[in-house]
Amino acid sequence: MLPELLQGVDTGGLLVIQDSASYSGRHLLQSFINAALNREEAVHVLGFEVSEEELKDGLRGSPVQRLHFHNAYTDPLGWTDHPAFTVHQFCLGELTRLVKQTSHSKPATLVIDSLSWILRHVSTPDVCRTLQQLRKGGAVRSIIGLLHADMHQRGTVGSVCHSATSVITVEPAMRGDEAVAKITKRSKSGKVIQDEEIFRIKDDLTVVVQSKFSKGAKKTDSEEQETDPTANLTFNLRLSDTEREAKQKLALPFVFSKEKKTALLHSGPGSGRIHYEPDANDDYDQEDPDDDLDV
Amino acid sequence: MAAPVSSVGKPSAERSPFNNTSFQKKTRSKLISIPGTRPSVQNGQLLVSTGVTSLDYLLGGGLAVGTVLLIEEDRYDSYSRMILKYFLAEGVVCRHELYVAAAQDNPDDILQELPAPILDDVAMHKPAEQPRLSCEPPDGLDAMKIAWRYQNLPKVQTALASSSRFGHYYDVSKTMEPEIRQAAKCHRFYLPEHPTQSSPPHSTMLESYSALLKSLQEVINREGFDVAAPMSNSRNILRIGLHSLGSALWGDDLCCHDNPKNGRALTTFLYGLRALLRSSLSVAVVTLPSHLIQDRALMGSITRLCDNAIALESFKGSERETNPLYKDYHGLIHVRQVPHLNCLASKLPDHKDLAFKLKRKQFSIERLHLPPDLSDTVSRVSRGELAGATTVASACGSGSSGNKHLDF
Repeated sequence: MLPELLQGVDTGGLLVIQDSASYSGRHLLQSFINAALNREEAVHVLGFEVSEEELKDGLRGSPVQRLHFHNAYTDPLGWTDHPAFTVHQFCLGELTRLVKQTSHSKPATLVIDSLSWILRHVSTPDVCRTLQQLRKGGAVRSIIGLLHADMHQRGTVGSVCHSATSVITVEPAMRGDEAVAKITKRSKSGKVIQDEEIFRIKDDLTVVVQSKFSKGAKKTDSEEQETDPTANLTFNLRLSDTEREAKQKLALPFVFSKEKKTALLHSGPGSGRIHYEPDANDDYDQEDPDDDLDV
Repeated sequence: MAAPVSSVGKPSAERSPFNNTSFQKKTRSKLISIPGTRPSVQNGQLLVSTGVTSLDYLLGGGLAVGTVLLIEEDRYDSYSRMILKYFLAEGVVCRHELYVAAAQDNPDDILQELPAPILDDVAMHKPAEQPRLSCEPPDGLDAMKIAWRYQNLPKVQTALASSSRFGHYYDVSKTMEPEIRQAAKCHRFYLPEHPTQSSPPHSTMLESYSALLKSLQEVINREGFDVAAPMSNSRNILRIGLHSLGSALWGDDLCCHDNPKNGRALTTFLYGLRALLRSSLSVAVVTLPSHLIQDRALMGSITRLCDNAIALESFKGSERETNPLYKDYHGLIHVRQVPHLNCLASKLPDHKDLAFKLKRKQFSIERLHLPPDLSDTVSRVSRGELAGATTVASACGSGSSGNKHLDF
């Protein structure tokens, strides 16, 4: 499922890449940036943890004209007089203004490297609320964030991932250059799909999926399985098309023409009268059945 | 005391236009008769259906009017949301008023996803539909090929009003039709639309919760759900659905930190909510992402502040998914608390292992039991083994072959 996510996150979606100290998720994040740039989308990166040179170095070979890097690496807390981007500017108004400055026709993808940095300085409910507002507002098409799961309490990680549409947890695999990705994707209808894949990132930042162990997609509303009663019988209960036609054409008893049906349905008050005149055969005498007694 | 209110001069239930009989049951009891409710057989409280009939049974017949049901969400909030939708759909079918509050999704989105009821007499909600009279042109004569004599009889023939039934079934694969939904009055509270004012420093409640409580109080007073309000002939029930309370989007850090700063905000809100409900004709269902709350003591006090509490645990994503014991079910349901209203103790459900399954037409809650053991190791002596056993003539069976099981 990793390639599908790389194709594009849905509009209004939040993708969270969870990594840990044993395997860094930044390569995967760079693959996502690369894929977005190749799709000719504008990408805005809030860089707290890596400098611009380092990021652009890693993205060698990608079209970087549409990449806008907001430098939060040099002075994130605003200690100098002219900070480029501080962590306190992480709110809806500032971010919308920043994204709209470089106006493009299509809404941009926002990449946050990393969310952990912001969570250390801004309270979690505020971060969640800002992310929610960004998603609902029109300036940003989708948000991709990197989260270091071992830097925070379980509740914090859980809260951020609770509102995310897709979560990818990366862990190291057996071989050195491979990694295991556990993917959970929530669609708008409420379906939750989970998957586990082993992948490798090549030098040109494309992702190669080695193998999949899929846990299977389960629907949250499953339908009752209706067993077909005409299957597995020793006699044939099914109808072919010609047989079905013949069945339709069969004239049923008591099927009258339309006029007769209306006449019967809309019968008037007096139409049911029976006129009877008793005749000779009705003189049936019980004691004299043959009518030959001469008494 | 929530519901029982004495009514002098017996109010009649709203007469539905399709009530074909003029018979009306003479209610000598002191309970007000509101469509969609019934008195409990255990303690006489006025009960309301949750929309899921098996959940009604678990809670002792239904939800008592004036109480709160707490649903601890499953990990991906799929089944708890489904139960909330069942609750609201039941309100639409019984013609109660609805109040939906959410911080994450717009309440309108939740209302649009309500499941469709499966009943033919619910179609009576469309007031424009008249029984087909025989003077109409027989267009539909082709519709009935064999039973055409019944063509002109009115489509639905029920003697009682449609909403007198307690508990309905819903088809999850279809959404409720807009006409039925719009017939019910809905009040909405979407948190991002309410600007946050700064709360006074001595209050223990967050602005979001106090705004919600104020809005609830205003709706209850304005629409006349207050028990103290002057008695009018038609009383109705307000069904309140609060989605994902306590999550970070409400501004609460209860789910985020191990030692939350405003740990008492939600408990204060629940206390205020329960006070509001006890003095009005309303029922509330609150869902809470409890899997994010690390402080178990706080979770315990939240549970105790709500009257009914159930917890859903879905198998999706956990290691239990592959357990063959659970293969027929979607998750486990734990009943954390049943209410004891005006009594010392209440009847807990007999069975503690309950599992739920969401089928298309029913959300069923069943007792989890071990399936029969049909594996090979169950001792079944076959002919070949018997023949072999007769050759071994030892009386006590000590010399018998190792893999033959004695079946008594």
